[in-house]
Amino acid sequence: MNKTAVRITGNQTPVKTAHPVAKPSRATRGPFQRALWVLASLRLTVVLFALALVLVFCGTLAQVEMGIWTAVNQYFRSAYVWIPLQLFVHFGQVFFGVSKDAHLPGSFLFPGGWLIGGLLLANLLAAHAVRFHLSWKRSGILVLHAGLVLLMLSELVTGLFAIEGNMTIVQNGSSNYIEESRAEELAIIDSSDPNTDSVAVIPDRLLKKPGIIRNEALPMDVEVIRYLRNSELLEKMPSGSQNPATAGLGRSVFAVERSEVTGTDPEQKVDTPSAYLNFKKKGTGESLGVYLVSLLLNPQPLTFDGKNYEVSLRFKRTYKPYTIHLIKFSHDVYVGTDKPKNFSSLVRLDDPTRNEHRENLIYMNEPLRYRGETFYQSSFLPGDKGTVLQVVRNPGWLMPYIACTLVSLGMIFHFGLHLIGFLRRRAAL
Amino acid sequence: MSNLSRTFPWFVLAVATAYLILAMSPVEENSGQFHLQEFSTIPVVDGGRVKPIDTLARTSLMIISNRQTFGSEWDPQAGGVKGEATQPAIKWLLDVMVDNGAFKQHAAEKYQVFRIENDQLLKLLGLEARPSFWRYSIEEFGKKIPELIDRAERAQQVPAQERDVFDVKAIELAQHLQLYMALANLKTPYAIPPASQGQEWQPFIEAFMDAHRNGLDNPNARSYGKLLLAYTQGKTEDFNQELASYRQRLAEQMPEQTQKARLEVFFNHFAPFYQCSILYVLVFFLATVGWVVFTQPLNRAAFWLTVLTLVVHTWALGTRMYLQGRPPVTNLYSAAVWIAWGCVLLGIFLEMIYKNGVGNVTAAVTGSLSMFLAHHLAGSGDTMEMMQAVLDTNFWLATHVTVVTFGYVATVVAGVIGALYVVCGVLTPRLTKELGQSFAQMIYGVLCFATLLSFTGTVLGGIWADQSWGRFWGWDPKENGALLIVIWNALILHARWSGMIKQRGMAVLSIFGIMLTGWSGIGTNQLGVGLHAYGFSNTLAMILVGCWAVCLPLMLLGLLPMRWWWSFAAQKAKMALPSKVHERSDVPVGATSN
Repeated sequence: MNKTAVRITGNQTPVKTAHPVAKPSRATRGPFQRALWVLASLRLTVVLFALALVLVFCGTLAQVEMGIWTAVNQYFRSAYVWIPLQLFVHFGQVFFGVSKDAHLPGSFLFPGGWLIGGLLLANLLAAHAVRFHLSWKRSGILVLHAGLVLLMLSELVTGLFAIEGNMTIVQNGSSNYIEESRAEELAIIDSSDPNTDSVAVIPDRLLKKPGIIRNEALPMDVEVIRYLRNSELLEKMPSGSQNPATAGLGRSVFAVERSEVTGTDPEQKVDTPSAYLNFKKKGTGESLGVYLVSLLLNPQPLTFDGKNYEVSLRFKRTYKPYTIHLIKFSHDVYVGTDKPKNFSSLVRLDDPTRNEHRENLIYMNEPLRYRGETFYQSSFLPGDKGTVLQVVRNPGWLMPYIACTLVSLGMIFHFGLHLIGFLRRRAAL
Repeated sequence: MSNLSRTFPWFVLAVATAYLILAMSPVEENSGQFHLQEFSTIPVVDGGRVKPIDTLARTSLMIISNRQTFGSEWDPQAGGVKGEATQPAIKWLLDVMVDNGAFKQHAAEKYQVFRIENDQLLKLLGLEARPSFWRYSIEEFGKKIPELIDRAERAQQVPAQERDVFDVKAIELAQHLQLYMALANLKTPYAIPPASQGQEWQPFIEAFMDAHRNGLDNPNARSYGKLLLAYTQGKTEDFNQELASYRQRLAEQMPEQTQKARLEVFFNHFAPFYQCSILYVLVFFLATVGWVVFTQPLNRAAFWLTVLTLVVHTWALGTRMYLQGRPPVTNLYSAAVWIAWGCVLLGIFLEMIYKNGVGNVTAAVTGSLSMFLAHHLAGSGDTMEMMQAVLDTNFWLATHVTVVTFGYVATVVAGVIGALYVVCGVLTPRLTKELGQSFAQMIYGVLCFATLLSFTGTVLGGIWADQSWGRFWGWDPKENGALLIVIWNALILHARWSGMIKQRGMAVLSIFGIMLTGWSGIGTNQLGVGLHAYGFSNTLAMILVGCWAVCLPLMLLGLLPMRWWWSFAAQKAKMALPSKVHERSDVPVGATSN
């Protein structure tokens, strides 16, 4: 072993010092340099790893209670998070037979994913800044760390810009819009023109707060009475409650709140929100009726001033300049079982703006990529009546591929170099 | 090298080989008996897969009875078990298949095979408890079946999360009866191969009725029916003759599938994974004894026995892959078998480099434990089941699963070496400076390997997810579990490079890696079900808690002050001995260390 790189303490093994570059002495360092050295410290790396470990663990436990995307936004795509102590009670309930009624109030502040990730990034860049020197031996580390930086950035890009949705098409039908499964909107559709509908939409972020929504584009004012994040419709009203609805389907069905679908739910359903809304004539405050709108209900007619409207709560739609037509959806099962063997959708894509017309077979692991969007075979309508395609737009989708190649190659090179050296030394003994 | 160390390994290998040959050798069947072994190789379709009827028999009996043989009975006078369960599953299945309106044989209803342990369920069925046997025949509780169905139907109404043990057990038994009925009514399996191109496999009863209705001859259905009839009438010669010609025809019609079915029957009979777990236990025994006495001969024997067992293990993995036409990891069971293989391979490598017995013990501990885990996971039926479309074979998924499980392997192996370091150092005087160094090098090397594989494997999973549904990373519990392992391995390596930890710290931290691997592999799945599951009866969760209960004390043991470590105290005493002896020869050696 190289003697200069060895430090022997007591009866411990020789430990190789990782970074042979000498630190400048304290006296010669300015405050900026000193700060940089602190930021570049390997001890900081270890501490940040430990924090990341706790965060990921808690972010997993949190999914026992909350939806996966709520957890992602609270824990991983945030600067800080208040972690409730109740999480550890859940942990105890699953594994140590802690009573189901046990409750632990209180929570503690913890750095979130953006913060820990950002600090790790800073730590990594600082470390390379102060100890930078090029050599064969260190090239593996350099490449793998470059890959890690790219990987962290790709998660940032995805977190900020990626959009996911669904496109549902019935057999022989077509669709030109994408529904985002994690966002809803209230649509007020004016169908008086026989050729085109004019649609005004209110995003769910406004519906979640009680109060009146007024806007010039809306044909009427909308007062939110109650918004239920996840709901179930009952035909009979629970005793002791009053039905807020005075018009529409809400008079015969009743919406009750359900807790959010959790990230650990083995069945992985989606939330189905509902809302009680009071539609009012613009400016006058005259009520047109309190309606129950829900993802579980069809659009409902609402007529006033001689005009016919339809109102409906639906997944947020984004319209595309092209249309996808479902020619045939196929669904095979294994003989004698109902286990799916294969799904596929034969579709035709028509884009008049680019004069693009083509047929495509979308099936497991064979998506269709078109104009920044990727269409994956995701699910199907009951009785094979149509297909559900998952549609994703992620400008950073290629980044992880490059990042992982870099990290893996870097690691193979670095550890491989060590291994060869080690085996040589042993052989020489 | 002494004479003993040269001959003893050969002796052990010879004994082990003889044992394996014995396990492989087929059961003799003479002409006066039904050729049940031959019958068991007939290919049928069940669960969407072509398999020998032997596999169906074994898995069905396993589901109902929790063992693959039958024949023992409860003796109410003695209050114990009478006879031994030596009859093969295929005989049970044949008897079940003629327990119907067509063949009118009811022997199978007398077999005590239905395993019922729940006291409330026993009470409902009017049965006495049979401690340590717990098996009953349909004849014994047949009259109470309506009550059982009624109870099970009510339990079905209760949401899955709120069911109590009684509910769950009632549903389970009802399902076992359903399976029995499906077999007895010949609706399961799809036994008759396609009569012509473009057709599918059919259950015997359907193929028979079809042929009858359309006035067509289906020779396969005819043969199958004749076999059952001959069996019912006890005509061994007719049975054996028909069987031979039926098998001949199938071999011509579908040569590959009949060949695979034969191989699978041999595989079932040999039970290579089971034999491997026994041999790994033997390795463990040899290697641990080798640390105390006869070190060289026992270590060498342990090493060569590990190599032999790994050969069998590898053959078994390869055969499974060939039979299933899939990469090695397709479900939890196969993951455990694969992990065992990786652990042993890594152990052998370490032993080849260091030759100090550590690799042997590591291979034996990890190999046998994961094989037993696999054995436990296999309980629920066919381990070569077909997979959901989304999980079906895909390059990224296949590489992801194989690589990431190898990452788990390395993490666990590093942890086991860490645990050995702690045990050896604290509880024995054997951890010398040199041995400690080899331990540290081994842990370090394996951890580097673990970091590489767990990272690459996790990322390959992301790529698969991106290919399948366009989301590289979704922060779901399973992904987070894998990420935890990557972070942990990176943490240990960085802590070592920074000098924050040394030998001991690395050993202790690496033990925590085992706990994390358990969390990632088993724990994250339990979160969804576990919270709502009745009480504390979930076996997998219990296995995990057991693993934690072993690892945590080991970590604490490793954190004991150095002066309490037997090895370091012993070394100190040894170093201090000459001078102390010189000063005060009356002080006993042990007392000189503080």
